[in-house]
Amino acid sequence: MNALLSMDKITGGYGEADILQDVTIHVDQDEIVVIVGPNGAGKSTAMKSVFGLLNIRGGTMVFDGDDITGWAPNKIVQRGICYVPQVDNIFREMTIHENLEMGGFLKQGDLSAAYDRVYALFPDLKERRKTLAGSLSGGQRQMVAMGRSLMLDPKLLLLDEPTAGLSPKYMEQIFQICRDVRDTGVAILLVEQHAKQALAFADRGYVLAAGKNRHEGSGGELLADREVAEMFLGG
Amino acid sequence: MDLLELINFYLIPGIVLGSIYALGAVGITLIFAILRYAHLAHGDLATLGAFIALAVVTSLGISPLVALPFAIIATGAVAIGIDKVFYEHLRERPKIVTVMASLGIALMVRSVVQVVWGVDTQTYSRGIVRPEDYFGLRIRDREIYTVLAMVALVGVLQLFLTRSKWGKAMRAMSDNPNLALLSGIDNKKVVMLTWGIAGGLCAASGFFLGLNTELKSMMGWHMLLPMFAAAILGGVGRVEGAVLGGLIVGIAEEMSVLFIPSEYKAAMAFAILLFMLLVRPTGLLKGKVL
Amino acid sequence: MEILGLVNYALFMAIFIAIYALLALGLNIQWGFAGLFNAGIAGFFAVGAYTSAILSTAADDGRIGGFDLHFLLGWFGAMLAAGLIAWPIGKICLRFRSDYLAIATIGVAEIIRLVIKSEPVLTNGARGISGIPRPAGDIGYMESQIAYLAIVLAVLAAAYFLVERQFNAPWGRMMRAIRDNESAAKAMGKDVEFRRLEAFIFGAALMGLAGAMFAHFNRSITPEAIDPMVATFLVWIMLILGGSGNNRGAIVGAAVVWIIWSVSEIATDRLPHEYAVQAKYIRLFLIGLMLQLVLRFRPEGLLPEPLRGDRRTSQSGTEPH
Repeated sequence: MNALLSMDKITGGYGEADILQDVTIHVDQDEIVVIVGPNGAGKSTAMKSVFGLLNIRGGTMVFDGDDITGWAPNKIVQRGICYVPQVDNIFREMTIHENLEMGGFLKQGDLSAAYDRVYALFPDLKERRKTLAGSLSGGQRQMVAMGRSLMLDPKLLLLDEPTAGLSPKYMEQIFQICRDVRDTGVAILLVEQHAKQALAFADRGYVLAAGKNRHEGSGGELLADREVAEMFLGG
Repeated sequence: MDLLELINFYLIPGIVLGSIYALGAVGITLIFAILRYAHLAHGDLATLGAFIALAVVTSLGISPLVALPFAIIATGAVAIGIDKVFYEHLRERPKIVTVMASLGIALMVRSVVQVVWGVDTQTYSRGIVRPEDYFGLRIRDREIYTVLAMVALVGVLQLFLTRSKWGKAMRAMSDNPNLALLSGIDNKKVVMLTWGIAGGLCAASGFFLGLNTELKSMMGWHMLLPMFAAAILGGVGRVEGAVLGGLIVGIAEEMSVLFIPSEYKAAMAFAILLFMLLVRPTGLLKGKVL
Repeated sequence: MEILGLVNYALFMAIFIAIYALLALGLNIQWGFAGLFNAGIAGFFAVGAYTSAILSTAADDGRIGGFDLHFLLGWFGAMLAAGLIAWPIGKICLRFRSDYLAIATIGVAEIIRLVIKSEPVLTNGARGISGIPRPAGDIGYMESQIAYLAIVLAVLAAAYFLVERQFNAPWGRMMRAIRDNESAAKAMGKDVEFRRLEAFIFGAALMGLAGAMFAHFNRSITPEAIDPMVATFLVWIMLILGGSGNNRGAIVGAAVVWIIWSVSEIATDRLPHEYAVQAKYIRLFLIGLMLQLVLRFRPEGLLPEPLRGDRRTSQSGTEPH
C-alpha cells in the first residue's frame, strides 16, 4: 500500500539556512506517527515543511497521490491536511462553536455533520459551545484547536506539541483523543517533547537530531533502543 | 444653570457629536484590528463622503437623508479602490509604511475635494432649523436622525459580525490572522469587506457632521484626532467600544466648554488619548495594543 | 537687473532649502534612524519660530516679552522649547508602535496651532510677531541675504556633522539595531525606550531650530506663515525621496523637493486667477501622489542608507514589526 504522506529527502528552512537535511518521513493511513528528538532537532520545522510554511530546496512531498511540494497552505488545507500550531491555535475572542465554524470555513453547504462528529469526539466542548475560547484552560483550548482542525474532514492531522504545558491527566486525555480520531480514519503526525509517553502511545516514531533522521521504528522498538534512550530519554 | 439647560446645551450636542465620532471610530477600530495600522486618511475620507452626498443632493434635488445611502456606497467603493491602488502593494512591508502612505492619501483626498468643490463653506439645506420642544428638551430633527442612524448602522454591523460567515471571518482575522489563513479564510476578501464597511461609515460620519454643522474641506481632518481617541478609549478592535468612546469624547468636548476656553474644545480628544495611553492602553473594553 | 533678480531668487531659494534640510535632518534622526513617526513636524517648527521670536524681539505691550535677547539665545531657546514639548509625548507614546506616536504628534501640532491662534498674550494673535532681529540684517539687501545664507549653511553643516558622527558612534549602531530588530530591542529593555526618547527629542529640537531660523529670516512670524499639513508633508517627502537613514539624502531630498515645489508654484502663479486656486490644490495632490510613487518604486530613496556593516537587511528606512 502506498503511504498517505511521504516526505522524501526534504532539505530546507526559513530564509537562507537549511534546518532540515534529507529528512524522510512517511505516514500511512490510520496511523499515529510521532516525531521526537532533542531541542533544536528540527521536529516542528519538519512538520511545518509539510504545510508549506518554509522554503523547501530539495526533496519531494507526496500526499495521497499528489505532489504537494511548494503548495500554498490554503490549497493544502483543501487537499486534506490540517495543521494545529503549538501556540496561538484558537480564536480567543470567539466562542467554541465559532472556532469550529471557522475551521469549516472552506466547506460548502451544511456543517452540521461535521459539528456532530467533532462534538462526539469532544463532548465537553459541546456543553460549553457558547463559551469564549480564550477563557478555557490549556487542555480545553487544545481540544478546541483539534476540533477546529477536524471540521474539514482531513485525511491527515498535523499536531505541533499538543501536550506542551499540560498536566499528565490532560496529556493522557489528548493522547486518548488522538486514538479516537485515528479510529475515525484520520492519520496523525505529531511532534512531542514528552518522548517517552509519546513513543509509548504512537504506532511509529521518528527520532530527529540536528535536522537529520536518526532512528525510526515502532514506538516499542525505539523505546527499547539503548542509543535512543541515552540520547534524550534520560537513560 | 439648571439641569435642563445642561442637557439642552451640552449633553444633547455632545451625544450628537459623539455619534458622529463613533461612526468614524468604528471604521478606524476595524482597520486597526484587521489590517493592523492607523489609517490617517480616515477623516478626509469622511469629508469626501460628505461632499459626495452634497453632489447627490444638488444634482438630483433630493433630500439629504435620501442621498446618504448613495454616499455610503460610493465612499465605500472609493475606500476599496484606494486600498487596491495604494495600500495593497505595501502589505508585505512594515505596517508603518502604510501609515505614511495614508498620510499622503489624506492630502490627496482633501485636495480632490478642494479642486472639485472649492474651499468655501457649504450646507445641505439653507435656513435655520429651530429645535422642537419635548417636555423641555430642545432637540432638532436632524439630531434625532444622527443618533438613530448611528445606532442602526452599528447595529447592522454588529449583526453582520456576529451572525454572518464573512463577518465572523473578519473577527477571526482580527483575532488571530495566522490561524485565519491556516483555516483557509481569504484574506483579500476580508480586507475588501473591511474597507467597504469603513469607507461607508466614514461617509455617514462626514454626512452627519455636515448635516448638523456645515461642509468644509478641512472638516474631516479635524475629526481624525477625536475619532482615534474614541477608538483607543473604547479598546482597539471593539466595535461597541468605539461607540462608547465616540460618545464619551463627543460629550467631553461639549462639556469642556464649561471649564476651559471654547477654542480648546479640540484639545479634549488629545487629552483623553494621552491619558488612556498612559493609564490603560487597552481601552475601556480591553482591546488590542499594537 | 534680470540677472540680479535671478541671483536674488536663487539666494532666497537656497536659504529655504537649507532650513528645510534642517527639518529633514531632524526627521531623519526620528524616522530614518529610530523608526519614529512624527506627523506634527510643523508644530515643532512653529514652537521654535515663536519661542525665538518672543525671546529676541524688543519688549512690546500686550504680549509677554519680547526679552530682547541675543538671537543665538533665541535659537537655543527654540531648540529647548521644541525638545521640551517632545519629551512628554515621547515618554507616553514610545512604549507603543509608532502608529500611536503618529496620531499623538498630529494632536500636538493641532494643539500648538490652537494656542498660536487663541493666545495673543503669547503670539500676538493673527498679526503675529514682527521686528524679529535678523543676524547681519542691517547691511545692504544682497549682502544681508548672502550673510544669512552663510549662517544657515554653517548651522546646517554643524548639525550634519554632529548627527553623522552620532550615527557612526555606538549610539547610532544601537539605534539601527533597535529599529531593525524589535525582539532584540525588547531584550535590551528600558534602555531602548530611553534611546528612542533621545532620538525623538533631538529631532524635535532640530525642527525647532529650523523654525527659529525661518522666523529670523522673515523678520516676522504669523499664524499663516506656514500651512501645517503642507510643511509637515513636504519634509516627509523630502526625507523619503532623498533616502531615509542617509543624512546626505535628507539634504539632497530637501533641495530636489523644494525646487520642484517652488517651480511648480511659479508655473501655477501664471495661470488666470480662477484656475490658480485650483492649481494650488492640484499641486498638493501631486505631492501626495509623489509620495505614493516613491514608496512603491523607490522606497530606498535617491541616496539609499549606506551599509554600515551592522545592518542585517538592506531594506531602508523601515521598521519591521
